[in-house]
Amino acid sequence: MEIKRRDFLKLFSAASGAVILGGCGFDDTFALPDELLEKLKKGPGIETWKNTVCRLCPGGCGIRVRLIDDVPVYVKGNPIHPVNQGGMCPLGLNALHLLYNPDRVRSPLKRTGKPGEGKWQQISWDEALKTISDALVKLRNEGKAHQVSFLGHNEHGLMHEFIARFMKAYGSPNYYQFSSFQNDGIAYSLVQGHSQIPSYDFLNATLILSFGANFLEEGYSPIYYTKLYSHHQDRGTRYIQIEPRISLTAANADRWIPLRPGTYGALALGIAYVLIREELYDAEFVRTHTHGFEDWTDRSGEKHLGFKSIVLGNYYPERVSEITGVSSETILEIAREVGVAQRVVVLGDQGTIDNTNGTFTLMAVHSLNALLGNFEKEGGIFFIDVPPFGKLHTILDDVAARTGNQQKPIARPPDDTFPLTHFSIESFTKNILADQPYPLSVLFLYKGNPLFQTLNQHDFAKALTKIPLVVSFDSVINETSEYAHLLLPDHTFLEAWEEISNVPSVGFSHLSIQQPVVAPFYDTKHTGDVLLELAKRIGGTVAASFPFEGYQEAIKLRMKGVYESGEGAVVSEGMKKLWLEYLQQRGWHAGRYESFEGFWDQLLERGGWWNPVRKQRNWNAIFQTPSGKFEFYSSKLKTAIESLIKKDGGKSVSQSMELILNELNISARGDSVYLPHYEPVPYEPDMPLYLTTFQVLPNRDGEGSNLPMMQEMFGYSRRQWWRSWVEIHPETAAMYGISDESWVWVESSVGNLKVQVKIVPGIMSHVIAIPFGMGHTSYGRYAKGHGVNPYSIMRNLYDVLSGKPALEATKVRISPVS
Amino acid sequence: MKIRRVIIASFVLIISILWAQQIELPKNPLQGQIVFEEKQCIECHAIGGYGGTEGPDLSQELYFGSVLELASIIWNHTPQMNRKFRQLRMDRPQFTQEEMLDLFGFLYYLRYLGEPGSVAKGKKLLEAKGCKVCHAVAGKGGTVGPDFEQLQQYDSPLYLVQAMWNHGETMQEELKKSGMTFPTLTGQDISDIAAYIRQATTGNVVIRMAPGDPTEGKTIFRDKQCENCHLVEGKVKKVGPNLSRIELKKGVTEVASLMWNHGPKMLESMKKESIEWPHFKTNEMADLIAYLYFLGFEDKPGDEADGERTFTAKGCTDCHKKGGGGRGPDLASIKRFDSPIRMIQLMWNHASEMEDLLITQNKELPQLSTKEMRDLYAYLRKMTQK
Repeated sequence: MEIKRRDFLKLFSAASGAVILGGCGFDDTFALPDELLEKLKKGPGIETWKNTVCRLCPGGCGIRVRLIDDVPVYVKGNPIHPVNQGGMCPLGLNALHLLYNPDRVRSPLKRTGKPGEGKWQQISWDEALKTISDALVKLRNEGKAHQVSFLGHNEHGLMHEFIARFMKAYGSPNYYQFSSFQNDGIAYSLVQGHSQIPSYDFLNATLILSFGANFLEEGYSPIYYTKLYSHHQDRGTRYIQIEPRISLTAANADRWIPLRPGTYGALALGIAYVLIREELYDAEFVRTHTHGFEDWTDRSGEKHLGFKSIVLGNYYPERVSEITGVSSETILEIAREVGVAQRVVVLGDQGTIDNTNGTFTLMAVHSLNALLGNFEKEGGIFFIDVPPFGKLHTILDDVAARTGNQQKPIARPPDDTFPLTHFSIESFTKNILADQPYPLSVLFLYKGNPLFQTLNQHDFAKALTKIPLVVSFDSVINETSEYAHLLLPDHTFLEAWEEISNVPSVGFSHLSIQQPVVAPFYDTKHTGDVLLELAKRIGGTVAASFPFEGYQEAIKLRMKGVYESGEGAVVSEGMKKLWLEYLQQRGWHAGRYESFEGFWDQLLERGGWWNPVRKQRNWNAIFQTPSGKFEFYSSKLKTAIESLIKKDGGKSVSQSMELILNELNISARGDSVYLPHYEPVPYEPDMPLYLTTFQVLPNRDGEGSNLPMMQEMFGYSRRQWWRSWVEIHPETAAMYGISDESWVWVESSVGNLKVQVKIVPGIMSHVIAIPFGMGHTSYGRYAKGHGVNPYSIMRNLYDVLSGKPALEATKVRISPVS
Repeated sequence: MKIRRVIIASFVLIISILWAQQIELPKNPLQGQIVFEEKQCIECHAIGGYGGTEGPDLSQELYFGSVLELASIIWNHTPQMNRKFRQLRMDRPQFTQEEMLDLFGFLYYLRYLGEPGSVAKGKKLLEAKGCKVCHAVAGKGGTVGPDFEQLQQYDSPLYLVQAMWNHGETMQEELKKSGMTFPTLTGQDISDIAAYIRQATTGNVVIRMAPGDPTEGKTIFRDKQCENCHLVEGKVKKVGPNLSRIELKKGVTEVASLMWNHGPKMLESMKKESIEWPHFKTNEMADLIAYLYFLGFEDKPGDEADGERTFTAKGCTDCHKKGGGGRGPDLASIKRFDSPIRMIQLMWNHASEMEDLLITQNKELPQLSTKEMRDLYAYLRKMTQK
């Protein structure tokens, strides 16, 4: 069943009228269990509020749910939650639409037709779990435990630990996430020695220089950043946004600097050139805490070029201008502004890392933080502490587990491309198709929608059909779960327990408790509880590794550690960092709880815990590199590449090096390989236009598409609803004789899409942009059949160091639809 | 003569009971920090270095007075503060009675919270006080008591005092046996010692206490039978000193040190009276000391007659005329003053208006000492009761 916008508006107005008239006909738009409908028909009753966490994006916003007679009727931001401080985005405000979504899976399902045919048979939980546990036990008994894989989404906190525990106890090294924060952290790990994504002190900075980080819309936690941004006027903070298209962040910045896709690294190094040339960098920090800035000689006596030489020799403004399309004057101007501003935060994200050269680009961007001495400084960048969680029971293993865990992970490619990451969707897909290093027998899919979100959709679908047993844990059927043999419905987040902690880049240690605000509507189970049940059925050391009554008990065990540590405080009104610091320095903790139960009750009542007071770290903890410093010259990258050369026996080192660098698509040679540098993107020369994509706040990575109000808001900035569009600069449009609102074909070497034109000045000439999130072929009545998926025409290219898909590496041509 | 004494004593008791009921003990004095921020006090004033620098840091000793002492300081400071508001284009905040109580409670409470200790001083003290005769640090020292390295991280110095207190009886006996003098503590000693132990220990659990709740403390005072020996109100002679007469407006560890120093004498008296040595658990010592600390929050009664004289001498009657007719209301006609906080709240909220009027009349805002504040309140309270 598909719903068009016109249908939805009719249904919605009918439903609104029906509510006024007593609730009849409400379930055409939203599916409410009869019991709840009956309650609503009785009129207003007792009002209660419950705090929990929004899970519609990874942002971790605290929310308050209003219940009338225990029926959730409204959601708003939790004003005392430190992440969002009461703020909410449209997606979060529509959380109830997920709960009442008519396309929710209501019981375990077994696929009876071909993928996508929509033929499912309802089965009992017992039958589903028996099928899975029988398969798992059989594989384990045959010494093939490693042939089981778990592909998660962006889960972190306890659920991440729970899945990892299950896989380790069972005996498989194949737990992966797509997309994963770990892939995002590769560039950081090369220069700072660990992959922790930094937090940025926006509040105390005087200048924010963002390289393609659309933090107000696509960041890890957009509302957190919106709250920080809201202080820019009273604090006099200046924002400079660099990206080809004017995003929500650029639109709110003091200055937008457009540049060609894939050239952020060159611009960062152009700015570094001016900072070094004009001595505007923090020389003391660079001298004390960095490695590889000046030319140097290693222990064997070999001389190496430093960052300074490479930058001064190659990245002068005129050359950078040719690469980026940003004028030399602008480069000088920004660099001088950065150099004289007292507290500058430099950050990169989406645009920076989503390309074939993402790792080197982010290294170049991050090297500006090192030049400015920004680490652990007010108005700079810093790293937050992990909350003091209680330890769960030891994971037990047996011979089967040990044998399985020692097998080569299936996501590691045989040819060792992606040398720095443990997972890439590309190698995962290829290996499944090639049965390398072994066939995959069972795949668990936990939420997410990799088939919709990957570039190589055809191969990934083929790989899914090859696996004998695919099990999906989700609340709705999407493109990926269409391929599952069994679909085990999870609760929605409003019906489930969860613990969410340390959302990347949020500036303080924190955790939130997601508690059920309502009992599950349907015959669904928490995936954590399903894993517990499976562990019990497998028995032995697997069962013994899960000595919990339920998932909630595991959350409480983790929280006991937080309680016992005496650190931080349960979130409360007005308890800001400075007070906590004042109290902690004097040996007090804020809040009053004389037992763990009291602490737990407060956590549930208020929604979370936080500790804005960071522990003092020495420089060896901040930079966990071999030199204990920020490494312009990355020892880790050098070691990784050298280890590939050693494996390639028989050839001379230089021949072997050449081969490896070619395989890794690294065009630089010599010391530049290990230093932040600009690596050109292999664009197809015969294609004239750059294709870029972006996410919108009401949809994020396509997950908002099954919420009708979010489809209604999809193109709020361009007045486009329930459909995709392509943004084109007026000059580009004139060049092709294209008018506003007309339809065009966007054609790449992979395929083409028919899409409607929006002519906007807020995009660079020769660049076009299509939003991501539409183009579903599944995912429920509100998502299916609207708009296009730009990933479907993108070339299957990756950043070979981080394994991240290159979302801005495709060029296209356009032509009017005749 | 005897009857007269009884009447006077009863009168004093009734008065003090009535007076004592005027300001409720705050359950969570830290609540006032929300007011401190919301009313933007923090824009100009810092607490321990956190906050604005336009005005003085309010964690200085000067501001740790009773309600009316602090009110006197703030009132006398009104013209300067008003000038600052105008310069910074800020509105002078208005307070409800509850907000004013929270704010005063919070500012008063700051001293109780204490100051961070010094590791270097703590190390020296540990030697000087003879602690290492019985206790070791990383194996170096005595073996009678536990090695400090094995302890958890007592981030809260008070927790250390509480632990010492709880085994005070045994410790005193051990000291007697070994002929050592009882180690007394002063000032910041215990905070310094705790700071040293914290960095010396290998324990990974940080132990902190919640800031004391004075209302809980009152219950503990009763439950631990402290009132058997100590008086906090009235004049009946008891074994121990009247705690309302001892200066307890000190940091929590300073008060705890006083208790500690008093331990041997107390143990002796308790043995005589067959009372058991009180043990404290969880947050009890913090609560008890918070209660004792807040004994000094409320002022002693003022003198109504002096208050009336002040009211006239300071020119209040120019506006607040009896029977009305002045620029301000006849105070006898307004709602009863049931707490000094109400008087302070009203004075604060109309201070700007009053100052403007006085400027136009070429008069200065009258300065009020603490005694004058107390007397004024006594007089106004009497007046509004009518």
